[in-house]
Amino acid sequence: MSSILKSNLHRIKMRILLLLNITFVSLMMNGYCQGENFQVHGFAAQGIIDVNGSNYVNDDGALSIELTEIGLNASYSLTQTLRLAGQVVYLDGGNRYNDGVRIDYALLDWSAYSNENWQVNFYLGRYKNYHWLYSSTRDIPFTRPSIILPQSVYFDGFRDISVGADGGAMKISHSSDSLGNFDFNISTGSSPISSEQTKIVMSDFALGEMKHSYDLQASLYWQPFLSSWRFGLAILDSEFAYVAVEQGDMFLDADITLQRVIANMLYEGENWEFSGEILQERFVLEDFYFDNFHVDNIGQGIYVQSRYKVNTDLTLLARYERYYANKDDKNGHELEASAGGSVPRYFGYQHDATLGLSYDLADNLRLQFEYHYIEGAARLTPVILPNPQVNDNESWQLWAMHLMYWF
Amino acid sequence: MNAVDVIVHLSVSEDNVTTSQLRRIYTMRQIQWPDGQPIIVFVLPKQHPLHQRFSKERLQIFPYQLERIWNKLTYSGLGVAPIIVSTPEALIDAVIKTPGAIGYTETIVGKGVVNVINIEK
Repeated sequence: MSSILKSNLHRIKMRILLLLNITFVSLMMNGYCQGENFQVHGFAAQGIIDVNGSNYVNDDGALSIELTEIGLNASYSLTQTLRLAGQVVYLDGGNRYNDGVRIDYALLDWSAYSNENWQVNFYLGRYKNYHWLYSSTRDIPFTRPSIILPQSVYFDGFRDISVGADGGAMKISHSSDSLGNFDFNISTGSSPISSEQTKIVMSDFALGEMKHSYDLQASLYWQPFLSSWRFGLAILDSEFAYVAVEQGDMFLDADITLQRVIANMLYEGENWEFSGEILQERFVLEDFYFDNFHVDNIGQGIYVQSRYKVNTDLTLLARYERYYANKDDKNGHELEASAGGSVPRYFGYQHDATLGLSYDLADNLRLQFEYHYIEGAARLTPVILPNPQVNDNESWQLWAMHLMYWF
Repeated sequence: MNAVDVIVHLSVSEDNVTTSQLRRIYTMRQIQWPDGQPIIVFVLPKQHPLHQRFSKERLQIFPYQLERIWNKLTYSGLGVAPIIVSTPEALIDAVIKTPGAIGYTETIVGKGVVNVINIEK
């Protein structure tokens, strides 16, 4: 008990220190370091979150302050075509992902070609996932429509793997006065996977190491000339390997393949905004439980959301999302049968209805609130060996409030 | 109410820009002038009435759309957003002092200090 108290006190102390630091840096930098060649920006957000009926944030269901996002970034232009950029973030989301400080991105940006209508850039180093609607800024609170993003596409259990990678990316932008704006992104690299992340995906019993061996992603966005609409298409092909420890591991070496196709659209009007993404993903797991074990599932997800700007400060949000882990077993009966009844059928899907609001207290200060009603547990962790003892409800709810500042 | 003028540093040789070119510049899709000089973009804070007018009247984009584009560039490492200055006077001053700069004003600025460029539809 006292160790839990100690670790909570340590967390609160760390948060206060980081918040003080960010305020200090913000005061120091503002007006001094927003120049032509060197810019510093940052953000700090703290919230409270309460989940009833699942272990999404914590195991005991208590009100939690594990909703912290702090970041600091800098961009420095070495020459007209070369730029260095990096961002450090501290995140705490409870069970959602690993908490701690991490390098969000650290890259060299080479502007290889640029004229009035074309831009070609290469990014080398640790880059972000630039492919989905919110993937490149999923940890930046004031750029998200909601505190919790739709889990079909932005599954927190895969956050550390899908947030970006170490390798190279290329972006080609074309702006045409007749056809509109086109953005093409392609990236290849791999993410380091921590043992905590391995446990989030596989289960607490996985003692081995998970490796990200291959990742190729591409996306194309098109905004017709002068249009309020934008359309996007993204693909992902990735492979992972699980290397079991020789003694004591419940599992065998395994190969995992994850492939995704995502289409999205966005409408931005003066007061109304509509957006949505539709996802199909193929998940292949080989060996793991025993030699020649083979799972090959196709999951499907969709969300649609609308935001209404009541005035310049207040925005309302409504969203509906459906996700099926296996499109051929939408009600999860086969899943339950194949696990001999130990995994309830509601682990086969997860649907979420969300209502929210955000209020700008000042130019760079926002308060956000939201409520989710969720049915199903397919996007709770661990994924491969679910935990029905803790997640023993088909329906569960969460609400959260988040205060965010940025500069 | 005065019209919102687009002003550039004296080193910029352009006399005219189209609305779509101006939009490319402010959405950071065009980062250099036709002669190769880098464009340095200055803006006022997002809630400033002059910024709101410039965005709607000159760019024909809602201010929140600009902010989203700039936030994505700044906080994902993808690129660089415009430099924010706090007052209309500071904005004029920044354009006067920075080669390649572009900004906006609703007050008349003395000739020979900056270039005022025509916006073609």
